[in-house]
Amino acid sequence: MNWSLVNSLWPLFVSMVLGSAGIWLMLPPKGRQGRFVGAILSVAGLLLLAIQLLGFGQWNGQAMFMLLATFTTISAVATITMRSPVYSAIWFALTLLGTAGLLLLQEAQFLAVATIIVYAGAILVTFLFVLMLAQPEGHAIYDRMSWGKFAPLCAVLSGVLLVGGLTFLLSDLEAMPEAASLPTDNHMARLGGELFSRRLLSVELAGTLLLIALVGAIAIAKDTRPKPRQAVSTSSDGRQA
Amino acid sequence: MDSHLTELQNYLVLGGLLFSIGLIGLLVRRNMIVMFLCVEMMLQGISVSLVAWGRFHGDWGGQMLVIFIVTVAACEAAIGLAMILAVFNYSKQLDIAFWQEVREAGIPPFTDHEIPEEREEDRVWPTLSPAGVEPELDVEEITHRSRV
Repeated sequence: MNWSLVNSLWPLFVSMVLGSAGIWLMLPPKGRQGRFVGAILSVAGLLLLAIQLLGFGQWNGQAMFMLLATFTTISAVATITMRSPVYSAIWFALTLLGTAGLLLLQEAQFLAVATIIVYAGAILVTFLFVLMLAQPEGHAIYDRMSWGKFAPLCAVLSGVLLVGGLTFLLSDLEAMPEAASLPTDNHMARLGGELFSRRLLSVELAGTLLLIALVGAIAIAKDTRPKPRQAVSTSSDGRQA
Repeated sequence: MDSHLTELQNYLVLGGLLFSIGLIGLLVRRNMIVMFLCVEMMLQGISVSLVAWGRFHGDWGGQMLVIFIVTVAACEAAIGLAMILAVFNYSKQLDIAFWQEVREAGIPPFTDHEIPEEREEDRVWPTLSPAGVEPELDVEEITHRSRV
């Protein structure tokens, strides 16, 4: 048996087990105590995973990433565990803020701003709008249920296997030849130049897609059922008007 | 190990985390709008990974793809929410389990075996605490009518 592999693997394993148990305890069919314990467990798992990631490299330069990543992950978990969909949407807005910060860290300024404006500003507001139209009382019985007992367990297992496998596979990447890094000055001009020269056809396609979606959304949302016939009004002497 | 590679690993793990948290939510939750939010979260995970790859290879392709992801997400939200509204007008609920009635013939229906009871504190809604001092009302001033 390869003990060095086990020695290097156990923090990842423990963090995955802790995180999955925590998320499972917080998911819908559980009660309030389960959520509290689950929150503690998943925070512990996240910390262990962060330590594992730090093992990949050195501390310097990663503090900001770790902060933003923790913020994003915690709000993502809160999004899927909140019983009220309104709270889910608000936590998702925080996830988007964290993601925008991460994109900013990667020198993708335009995408960071676009995430906030398009996602948090437009898409999320549409979600809240539909939520208030469809579920104005805020909570429903199906928000506190799932698909029986085993569905949350299986879902958490599959998710954790995905993350655990990915982290394990990434832990022994070999150094690749250094690629030329993107120039950092004139970000918008360079991005626009690339977008409107090499990717011009894609831009046209995306525009067409937006137009189709606009027309399609109106066509779907329009009430096409035949209206009930108006009650026939009668005038005072009994004849039909 | 050089720092570029470390950074790539970090962002890929984070992207995978976001993706799988969204996946768990999509599989577990039953409210259609929350399921939709989970799909958006999976797209966020993909975006983070794509930007990380683009930066690692010094290529604009990752960021370009993310721009189109945002476009498609906007279209998807518009169409999906319109469909959810149309579906809601029919079934009067956002529960996805309602739609198992369009399942194939011969497949048994899913039934809820245990329905959680509604506790007292679930029915309590947050209220705004009163602030300031309530002004004293001068009854004479309110009821005064100058032209009578």
